[in-house]
Amino acid sequence: MAYKPQYGPGTSKVAANRRKQMNPNQKLEKMRDVTDEDIVLLLGHRAPGAAYPTAHPPLAEQQEPDCPIRKIVTPTDGAKAGDRVRYIQFTDSMFFAPCHPYQRTYTECYRFRGIDPGTLSGRQIVECRERDLEKYAKELVETELLDPARTGIRGATVHGHSLRLAEDGMMFDMLQRSVLGEDGIVRYVKNQIGEPLDRPVVIGKPMDENWLKEHTTIFHSLVGTPYREDTEYIEYIQRIHSLRTKYGFMPRKE
Amino acid sequence: MTEAIYPQVRIVSARFLRPETAEKLLNRLVQVGGIRRMSINGPSVPATVPYGPARGQPNPHPDRKVIRVGDQDVQLEVQVGTIILELEDESYIPAIGEAVDEVFADKGFSCTVQQGRFMKTRPTVSDYAKYGPDADTKILGLVDPRKKEGPVIIQGNK
Repeated sequence: MAYKPQYGPGTSKVAANRRKQMNPNQKLEKMRDVTDEDIVLLLGHRAPGAAYPTAHPPLAEQQEPDCPIRKIVTPTDGAKAGDRVRYIQFTDSMFFAPCHPYQRTYTECYRFRGIDPGTLSGRQIVECRERDLEKYAKELVETELLDPARTGIRGATVHGHSLRLAEDGMMFDMLQRSVLGEDGIVRYVKNQIGEPLDRPVVIGKPMDENWLKEHTTIFHSLVGTPYREDTEYIEYIQRIHSLRTKYGFMPRKE
Repeated sequence: MTEAIYPQVRIVSARFLRPETAEKLLNRLVQVGGIRRMSINGPSVPATVPYGPARGQPNPHPDRKVIRVGDQDVQLEVQVGTIILELEDESYIPAIGEAVDEVFADKGFSCTVQQGRFMKTRPTVSDYAKYGPDADTKILGLVDPRKKEGPVIIQGNK
């Protein structure tokens, strides 16, 4: 029988959302339209329209060593062209952001190729070739993985994920990269590292509380789905914990 | 440092306050009177980008504003999340509770008033090591005593 990945345990809504995001066969809901130029502006790695700077000559122009792995793995577009490695980083508020760092890493590893994600408690960075990055970033920003108010595209000074929200429901940002306008639309006025943009980048309206609670991948014991109520999840975690404790780094059931 | 005889109160809102709301709340508290010292806490909103590739560049932030409290201008350097008060005596606490309820009546979130001990009563060894023996004890434990700008003094309560 062919192996069928389960993506994760759990019977709760949160667990189902997690599985949905991780499963590459499930299409993520598209929530907003952001142009390619806007993505380039948000990332701040190159000027829109400029050529991609390269780190090495295109693969077609250079002699490759005779390597069986290179014959198996098809290079991504960015790798083929010899692009630089660049990054995008997200901060997700603990107040029902649609995604969170570990979840992002799992999701990206299942869905994208040629990436190097870095997972931290309050932020998640993903590095890859610039051309690929722009393609992936567009997907990360346009789909249900991002909420304009509770998710921040922050390359530096990310502080805010575990803080109270601001009065208008936005996550705290020391550099105020995104601003909620009078018309209820969130606009990025700075790029991800905090340099002011020439023109604001429209991201869209923040999702309402019900949508967020329905689509979140974060357990919350007070106002959301409590972790303790998902007994299957607890059982799974406890099993891993006990196997790890018993067998160190060689979990094997008797 | 504070004398342990003075009661202290902490006002914590469920969300960070905009400068306008903070101004309204602080002015209402000043009207109540009986406040010896007050400290505004929250995450820092720096004037320049503190780190990262854009380090040192100006950081225009709509919440880094000068607000008017009583008869003084106060430069906000944080997004207001918590206000700690040291009071003359306990009789002012109910009035502070009412003032807070009044300001937050039409907001969609709550704000609590807690009584306890929130300011340091004596310098720690670390304070001594950091700021030396001559640190200003009026503000030690509230802000960095080495800061150039001193405390804002709002007069006219007595």
